[in-house]
Amino acid sequence: AEVCYERLGCFTDDVPWSGTVERPIRKLPWDPNKIDTQFLLYTRENTNNYQVISAVDSTTIGHSNFNTNRMTRFIVHGFIDNGEEAWLSDMCKRLLTVEDVNCICVDWSKGSKCQYTQASNNIRVVGAEIAYFVNVLMDQYGYSPAQVHIIGHSLGAHVAGEAGKRRSGIGRITGLDPAQPYFQDTPIEVRLDKTDADFVDVIHTDSAPTIPYLGFGIGPAIGHIDFYPNGGEEMPGCGKNALSQIVDLDGIWEGTRDFVACNHLRSYKYYSDSIIYPDGFLGYSCTSYDAFQTENCFPCPAGGCPNMGHYADKFKDRYKDSSFVKLYLNTAEAKDFALWRYKVTATLSGSKKVTGYANIALYGNDGNTRQHQIIKGTLKPDNTYTAFIDTEVNIRTVTKVKFLWNNNVINPTFPKIGASAITVQSGETGEEFHFCGSETVREEVLQTLTAC
Amino acid sequence: ASLERGLIFNLDTGELCLQSAQCKSGCCQRDSGLSLARCVPKAAELQDCSPQSLYGVYYKCPCESGLTCDADRSIVGSITNTDFGICRDKRDMAR
Repeated sequence: AEVCYERLGCFTDDVPWSGTVERPIRKLPWDPNKIDTQFLLYTRENTNNYQVISAVDSTTIGHSNFNTNRMTRFIVHGFIDNGEEAWLSDMCKRLLTVEDVNCICVDWSKGSKCQYTQASNNIRVVGAEIAYFVNVLMDQYGYSPAQVHIIGHSLGAHVAGEAGKRRSGIGRITGLDPAQPYFQDTPIEVRLDKTDADFVDVIHTDSAPTIPYLGFGIGPAIGHIDFYPNGGEEMPGCGKNALSQIVDLDGIWEGTRDFVACNHLRSYKYYSDSIIYPDGFLGYSCTSYDAFQTENCFPCPAGGCPNMGHYADKFKDRYKDSSFVKLYLNTAEAKDFALWRYKVTATLSGSKKVTGYANIALYGNDGNTRQHQIIKGTLKPDNTYTAFIDTEVNIRTVTKVKFLWNNNVINPTFPKIGASAITVQSGETGEEFHFCGSETVREEVLQTLTAC
Repeated sequence: ASLERGLIFNLDTGELCLQSAQCKSGCCQRDSGLSLARCVPKAAELQDCSPQSLYGVYYKCPCESGLTCDADRSIVGSITNTDFGICRDKRDMAR
């Protein structure tokens, strides 16, 4: 079967759109007037309340604050979500604090609050609407599609893919946990893929299989660069007990959303934080998250690591070829999510072996970090231990470190342990900082090591 | 990890708590008298802190191991739990 709409063309439910293993149920996209896609413009001239603009009545664009000599970023929500949800306008507001752009929230809530199988076909009309919008900008305002960046969450990522497929030359598409059901393992014409824009970056935060793990986000790498924060399946802070999850700092509604899809929503929260942390969220290229935990994916290569999120296009020319790139990093449990990775190598000194744990805190002109555990188990003098830590402060030049050990067991002999040498390697630059210490200390006493 | 997780004890950062003893981090903190308290990490060196007290819930967390909170230990402050200070290395304080 097929349905045709003026302005947007025809839509079929033949293979590969339906009748396949991945898309068993046949559904045709709804009429554009029923979906009623809205374009809500925020600019630096109107950061708090949007202006409704439309390509169908394109004079509204001319009368709005839309400015053709600045970039345009579309933000597209996903299933059951809506364009006026706080996260879209919050993201626009944050973007406008760091750059002067046309920020357009795309509201297709009338087409997203229905059965998932219907919504996953409605996105084709919404993608066509965005393509139509960009065409009007080109024809009537001489605007280049290379100036367009579409940020899509969940089903919204495939909206972006559809728009990019229909309107070639789109500058960039960012997929925030693109939806998995009805899209994973489908041909590239159906889902978001790297051919949909000049540069496609993807953040995977909920990529466990839908059956049986209820992962909503797509698993495989599909863009020019794909980030898998915390391994891409279980995000820190999402394991909270139900009560703590629902009663959220930002209110019950935000908490309920997190309760339903905490991992899945983390993707746009990470992107939002990346806007205000241009030096954060460094992605390390690795074969797997397990490999990322070892030493062979550390530190960043000479040219530097790409940043997950807003500034991911800093190295877009480096990732033009056909292969897929998987990048891994860790994030914090709650906002602000940015962390910075270091490798710590410590050689212990002291009279005898103890069991317990050892922590380290980094100090520098950018401040100091909390204590991070580097050893757990036996603390054996003259042994060298290596560990990775992800700190909440970016200490660019480490000037000193503090070492502390504890073994929670009251031992009457009051053993003394110390660190004779500690090396801290920055993940970002690969630079190594060497510290020496001559003393040993009792448990729960900070030993300061200075540069040697 | 789910074995260690409890609804009452061994709570992770961000989980609701009534007493600091419930938290893995050892600090159950809330911003104002009305807001709900949650487990958060203890304060690092040079951060705001309140001295370790018998109360279960803090406005500012006590300091991490090896540090001391140099708050003025006024009687009034310790009752209203608003005697804040800054975490300092115990060994720096001793000198």
